[in-house]
Amino acid sequence: MARLAMASDIAAPVNDAANAGSVEGAPVPAVAAPAVQGPATGLADSAALRATVFGTPPQDRAPMPARVPLVEINVRMPWARPVPAIFWFDGKLRVWFSAQDKPAPLAIVIAGTGGDGNSSGISTLRGALYGAGYHVLTVPSPTFPGFIVSTSRTGVVGDLLQDGQDLYAAMQIIVAHLPGKAVVTDIDVIGYSLGGANAGIVKSIDAREHKLHIHRAVMIEPPVNIFDSVGRLDKLFAENIGSGEAGVERLYQRLYAQLANLYRASNRVNIDESFLLGAAGAVLTTDAEISAAIALTFRIDLMNVFFAGDLYAGTGVVVDPRHPPKVGDSLERTEQILRGKPFSEYYTKVFAPYYLKHHANATSASLMAENRLDVIGDDLRNNPDYYVQTNSDDLILDREELSWLKTTLGSRIAVYDHGGHLGNLGDRRQVGDMLDMLAGRWHGGER
Amino acid sequence: MRIAGAAAAVLLGLSGCASTGIVIHRMPPETPAADNAAAIERAKALPASGPQSAAQGASAQPSAPPLTPADAPSMKTYDPWERLNRFDYRFNARFDEAVFLPVSNAYRRLPAPLRTGVHNFFGNLSEIGSVVNYTIQGRLGLGARSLGRLLVNSTLGIAGLFDVATGFHLAYAPTGFGTTLARWGMHPGPYLVVPLLGPSTLREAVGSLGDFATAYGINVANLYRGDAGWGLGPGDAVDTRSNESFRYYSTGSPFEYENVRFLYVRKLLLQDEGLHRTKPRERPAPDVPAGQ
Repeated sequence: MARLAMASDIAAPVNDAANAGSVEGAPVPAVAAPAVQGPATGLADSAALRATVFGTPPQDRAPMPARVPLVEINVRMPWARPVPAIFWFDGKLRVWFSAQDKPAPLAIVIAGTGGDGNSSGISTLRGALYGAGYHVLTVPSPTFPGFIVSTSRTGVVGDLLQDGQDLYAAMQIIVAHLPGKAVVTDIDVIGYSLGGANAGIVKSIDAREHKLHIHRAVMIEPPVNIFDSVGRLDKLFAENIGSGEAGVERLYQRLYAQLANLYRASNRVNIDESFLLGAAGAVLTTDAEISAAIALTFRIDLMNVFFAGDLYAGTGVVVDPRHPPKVGDSLERTEQILRGKPFSEYYTKVFAPYYLKHHANATSASLMAENRLDVIGDDLRNNPDYYVQTNSDDLILDREELSWLKTTLGSRIAVYDHGGHLGNLGDRRQVGDMLDMLAGRWHGGER
Repeated sequence: MRIAGAAAAVLLGLSGCASTGIVIHRMPPETPAADNAAAIERAKALPASGPQSAAQGASAQPSAPPLTPADAPSMKTYDPWERLNRFDYRFNARFDEAVFLPVSNAYRRLPAPLRTGVHNFFGNLSEIGSVVNYTIQGRLGLGARSLGRLLVNSTLGIAGLFDVATGFHLAYAPTGFGTTLARWGMHPGPYLVVPLLGPSTLREAVGSLGDFATAYGINVANLYRGDAGWGLGPGDAVDTRSNESFRYYSTGSPFEYENVRFLYVRKLLLQDEGLHRTKPRERPAPDVPAGQ
């Protein structure tokens, strides 16, 4: 809470990227990775794991408008630091905007971990919100590489408050420059998964700084304790793929053989989308296979965060701070090494050393405490404009976390029985309730 | 003169990449209602054409023993010209952003039936190469299907503008000289990023040249050697781009070059497995980079 109040101090632009994060000469105490209790799958059962991978079945999706106009806005942030050569393509933040042709409220949608502002989850929410009469602005997750390079002031992302500050600053610039004659009557924020937590934090910051006057926040399936949720995904990876580089290689070999045999048997002439859709159903059948897919998806996002953080912080885990990779250098070996690295290693070798060095009085315990949703617990409890939608079989939550959400939000939470993690995003009930929440007409309770 | 003008346009476009502040690009509108309806149709069609049911139909043929994980090619890809390839990849990304994508986005604002007609037209033209290649691959059934499509669509489909043949259960399944080379046992070879065209391998690049030579040689309706030849290539390119959702660096990832290379070559290798259904193949040692 203390850090939230003084968050603008932390967010001071870091100009000298090379020196800012260097840990040379400043001994940083060894930190322990957050330990995770309980099963790697959180509250998820078999059906929840399947829903997480395969998503909302098309026939259950909410009604969508026929046409949604779209512009892409590329913004170079005034505080942007020099773009590292290897990230030459990420110098501008890419966001997307769909304007109504009459005055309307603006819905700002924040993507989940690793997602850009135009992912499939985003597109679903954009359609639903536009259809309901909102201008829609969609922004990437602070963990998306394009955000890290163009917008993050630290380059070391994953810290709820710092990421929230960066997002909030970016939103102010974008909202001030929306194209066309869009007349905005009100502003709401929506986010899913990690983006849900980001949305809550952004609204809390705004409540103190009053720059955007955000009205309501709908947090869709947010984590409660960020590092615990991520720790579960590490555990899921270790249990279903195996630790280190060899695990991914084994998984690849198995998948290759399975796909080749399916393809041969199919008598198809080409590998196309419909073959791959069918093959996914055939290759991902057991809980272990589905869990591996979930863990791998997260690991691929983590690799980008790890690489960028190591580069910006100068921590030297995979990027030599004295000789950072140049445009045209091969990153194959780096990628191979990162495949075997869990979040816990990002935390102990990049994240914690960086934040312990840059925040006076910070300890590993305080870093962990600050990356829980209860940093905005008072707001969630007392402010009637926060809403949460979640599932009672979400794999990023455990029983305690779910019950904390229920107790804290009271009548402003919708808990669905099935959906796993985001496996019901875009279905009729989720969308209908979300729209009711945004309009302030939702009076449901637990279902 | 024409080339000089085009080159100037490209340079101007590329120099625009360095601009600062806020840039706004108008994108084609999304059509979520139609996309949902299409997804429902796809989901319905899936069990009928899925790999499981198709597998039963294939069991009558003699087939090579199934692959085991040990048969998978290395995760590393054979890329001896990596520096040049990376340069080409960057060039392609910039060209796409500055020229190709804006043109194809503008094109996508034309009425859908018109674009479908253009797409069908180019698809129909490609059937000629498919007939030739299926024949020399010794896959006569597929060759006959392509020939059937060509005849039906060129006549009933009014010079290929309408795809009538798919309605007669003659599905579009193009092939090319690259696949013929694969059928003859050639490995994909070194990974190659072709300027303007994108990911390829040496074999596939030779294949594309072969396809062009075939089309040029047959010169149907004097399309390739006549005045229309100038418009054919760019037209085909814009049609192809506007039907392709790939966007350079939309992943934002520093590993995008590696990931595209990995997926492209694995897809090619998987398709090669399908060309050798009946006989076991000789496999490179596991430490040989894939494609070599």
